Amino acid sequence: MKNNKELAIKAKDKKSPIGEDIDLDVFKSEDRKASSKRSMEQIAAEERRLMENVGVNPDEKKTAGLYVQIDQSKVFYNSLNQKAEILPIKDAIKKYEWLKDYYWNAVNVDTDKYTSAVELELHNGYFIRAGEGQKIREPVQACLMLKTGNIKQNIHNIIIVEENAELHLVTGCVSPSILEPALHLGITEFYIKKNAKLTFTMIHRWGKRTLVRPRSAAIVEEGGVFINNYIILSDVGNLQTYPTVYLKGENSKAELYTVIYGTGKSIYDVGGRIILEAEGTKGKVVSRTIGADESIIYARGQLIGKHSGCRAHLECNGLLLSDKSRLTAIPELEAETTGVELSHEATIGKIEQEQLTYLMSRGLSEEEANSLIVRGFMTINVPDLPATLQKTVDDAIKLTKLTGF
Amino acid sequence: MSSEKILSLIDLHVNADNTPILKGISIEFEKNRVYAIVGPNGSGKSTIAKAIMGFPDYKVTRGDILYKGESIINKTITERARMGIALAFQNPPVIKGVKLDKFICRICRDCRRISDNRSGRHLGEIDKCTPDLTEGFKKLLIENLKNRDINDGFSGGEIRRSELFQVISLKPEVMILDEPDSGLDYDSLKLVGRTLKEIRNSGKTTMIIITHSRYILEYLEADKVFIIEKGKKVFDGDKTILPQLEELGYKEFLNRNKLR
Ligand SMILES: Nc1ncnc2c1ncn2[C@@H]1O[C@H](COP(=O)(O)OP(=O)(O)O)[C@@H](O)[C@H]1O
Ligand SMILES: [Mg+2]
Repeated sequence: MKNNKELAIKAKDKKSPIGEDIDLDVFKSEDRKASSKRSMEQIAAEERRLMENVGVNPDEKKTAGLYVQIDQSKVFYNSLNQKAEILPIKDAIKKYEWLKDYYWNAVNVDTDKYTSAVELELHNGYFIRAGEGQKIREPVQACLMLKTGNIKQNIHNIIIVEENAELHLVTGCVSPSILEPALHLGITEFYIKKNAKLTFTMIHRWGKRTLVRPRSAAIVEEGGVFINNYIILSDVGNLQTYPTVYLKGENSKAELYTVIYGTGKSIYDVGGRIILEAEGTKGKVVSRTIGADESIIYARGQLIGKHSGCRAHLECNGLLLSDKSRLTAIPELEAETTGVELSHEATIGKIEQEQLTYLMSRGLSEEEANSLIVRGFMTINVPDLPATLQKTVDDAIKLTKLTGF
Repeated sequence: MSSEKILSLIDLHVNADNTPILKGISIEFEKNRVYAIVGPNGSGKSTIAKAIMGFPDYKVTRGDILYKGESIINKTITERARMGIALAFQNPPVIKGVKLDKFICRICRDCRRISDNRSGRHLGEIDKCTPDLTEGFKKLLIENLKNRDINDGFSGGEIRRSELFQVISLKPEVMILDEPDSGLDYDSLKLVGRTLKEIRNSGKTTMIIITHSRYILEYLEADKVFIIEKGKKVFDGDKTILPQLEELGYKEFLNRNKLR
């Protein structure tokens, strides 16, 4: 058996090939540790407001459960209908011996210094599991909040959707916008078993100086479906992530959607990679990036076809709203055998005068026309997403303060 | 019918891209009448429509446009639209991610009125204007377009009908239709004709129709027909000229009936 600690120590200073290097030693640990709680009453009003900004509502009736973590150790959780199992990952490891087969399995512990840091100093994270055959239509909500300046938050999440089960998870990650520099490292490992289905919707809203390095990967087995929906519409100091999906089972399917509305001087480097390893696998990577202010956005996408009869499409569309913003689309296709069907489409454009003229002639002001075009551009209809979650996504987009005009 | 003036082009000169396109056009439009603007391709018909609507790339270099007696050449497109001028585009752009039904609901006159009372913001809530909306889509046989992104992959005929529907829902006082009949099959042509006739019969709208179709103009009983050639108005008549015009074509017709 591999020794995660040892591997992590070796990778302690291993830089990531993409994204600005972060000096991890600057960030502190919490002064005082809080303990796991089960009561939602203890969430302060201010914290609730932050949560609602990222689509998490602790009072929501139509939910299958909740996990909230504030900074490093303050954790609240419940599983309302007892269908989905929800536990802090530290408790789950103690409870289930078998979890070690999942822990650092989809993501390698020695990927880079960030994965290493999470192994060497784990603050917590969630373990969420839908049992065999359980189809849970109401979403499970999770919120990871970074509230204190100058600290780090090292998270490790594991999501398991057992055979023939269905799970919808929304995770909001949030910081107050004016927070001092702080660091969020988040490992997420997804396991979608035979004929299971997971939709994972993640909404980020960070502070101007928050540094963010998520590292996630999914393993999808035969007939499984993984739909990933990532939305960031706020400032951030610097964010880099490149989730990878391994379609290991025949006829498994993955779709990754990303919407980035870049503001301020933020730097976003967001990718999506699908590795098609079996017969009949299908993939789709779609991103919509909008560059306002002086934001810098990299939209990466990679499709790797390893088995004949697989098919995937990559689509990166960018809309530039400011001369000082910069958008880069980096699509990559790789076929390792014949009979692989991969395609891509990348566009970067600006709002056309013709579109404004058209909408204004219908009575909209120039500003209304601009925001309608931008909102339209950001609209992606994610298949299989429960209506409540589609609404969460739409609401998040409505909350965007459209700057630049 | 009253003969109150609603819109006047006075010695209108318009440049596009620093090139003179309209070279002194004067036309008076009276309230609630139907006007036809015809002429060879490239003669400046669409430019007249764009100049009235206020497209920024089309600069009025001389002359004036009066709407209800007031010059509008310094007004924005939005202002002109809100004053009651509407244009059905010949080649409208695609607006991704905006559904046609939601959009029509957002721009329609009645929603506008409600929303103006509410700090000027639109509602665009489909259920609030469902009857008109549903009926319109049905009547124009474009129910399949309801839930599509505006103009995205619409066929020529679908664009005509979607434009017509949008313009109707604005309830304008002056409605300019740029080739509302091009690319339509016989059935759609009849449908568009009937719809336009209804507008005429309701007597609340001045219609300026740019077209090559004799059928539409005769059916609508156009009050006046103007022929534009090389940026100038070269003929001024009524619908009785249409058979001869169709038979002879613009060139020969104008040779025989020169105004100049
Ligand atoms: N934006 C523009 N820049 C340069 N030339 C233009 C522009 N728009 C129209 N024109 C020219 O002006 C003339 C009249 O165009 P248009 O009004 O579209 O004609 P019509 O509608 O009668 O066919 C054409 O020769 C056309 O090429
Ligand atoms: Mg034309």
